[in-house]
Amino acid sequence: MNNRLETFVKENRRSFDMMEPSPALWAKIEQKLDQKKEKKPVKLYLWMSVAAAIVVVFSLGWFYAGKMQSGEIEIADVNTVYAKKEVQFAGLIVEKKDSLAIFAAANPELYKKFTADLRKLDEEYERLKNELPASPNQTFVVKAMVKNREIQLQLLKQQLLIINQVDDYKKVNQI
Amino acid sequence: MQGSRAAQFDLYKLYAKAMYNVALRILNYEEEAEDVLQESFLDAFTRIVDFRQETTFGLWLKQIVINKSINYLRKRKMEFVSTDEVSEVPDEISFDDYDIRLQVEEVRKAITELPDGYRVVLSLYLLEGYDHEEISHILKISENTSRTQYMRAKKKLKSILELKGMRDE
Repeated sequence: MNNRLETFVKENRRSFDMMEPSPALWAKIEQKLDQKKEKKPVKLYLWMSVAAAIVVVFSLGWFYAGKMQSGEIEIADVNTVYAKKEVQFAGLIVEKKDSLAIFAAANPELYKKFTADLRKLDEEYERLKNELPASPNQTFVVKAMVKNREIQLQLLKQQLLIINQVDDYKKVNQI
Repeated sequence: MQGSRAAQFDLYKLYAKAMYNVALRILNYEEEAEDVLQESFLDAFTRIVDFRQETTFGLWLKQIVINKSINYLRKRKMEFVSTDEVSEVPDEISFDDYDIRLQVEEVRKAITELPDGYRVVLSLYLLEGYDHEEISHILKISENTSRTQYMRAKKKLKSILELKGMRDE
């Protein structure tokens, strides 16, 4: 195959670039570049305001949530009778817990089991307490809280009874 | 970060003509070539952050120009599938007597008379200096198609030149 034409073209490549774009073209490009530049700050501004809006929404939510938590309601705010009962139970519970603690050293396993059961009830009580401010039926929740205290007290009484018996049995066997 | 306008204009002055000719060889229409040129420079200026110093700015810009030109051409539904429209050209013509005075302008004009598929492959190979492997990537055709397309384009080009009396007496 004859390659003269090929060689000729290859050797004169640059001479083939003989056409010129219209002189107005740069102005067009410049104009488009200006448009793009104007767009950018607008975009940035938009994004910044979106970000600001999100921050405002979140902080408001945070603020209200915080307010709700700090605005704790006591049982007394809902029902004074229940409140009195609760206070009474709570006092007795402390007493019984102290009594139970006396046996702890002698019966560590039993004491561990007992306190675990009590802790469950206590956790339930805390849960109810947290629910109280947002609850639509606060009297109901307060009732449950007092009931919880009562059960704790009964449980403690039973535990004391059992631990007493066990202790007695152990002492008898020791002799 | 976009670089100063003066620097952009310097780049434009440096590359506009060459790039315009690249686009024009592929597209064959001045208006479209100018559109491609405008889009390519805008692209290059806005994407200059993406430009890595692996190649020169010129080569990078040329790739943009070529890709855009091919896309324009594709919109016109160009076919790169080989046709046999050149078969009427006798194989045995000897071009030994091609004169050294062969004028660039006449060849250039003859190239513009080639069908799209031929013209693009021939331009990319002869004038933009790509090999067939690169052309196959650019045009998404097989290397073999590029090769045969080029051979036929060259044949056709010669026949056009011959018809114009480019042969030496």
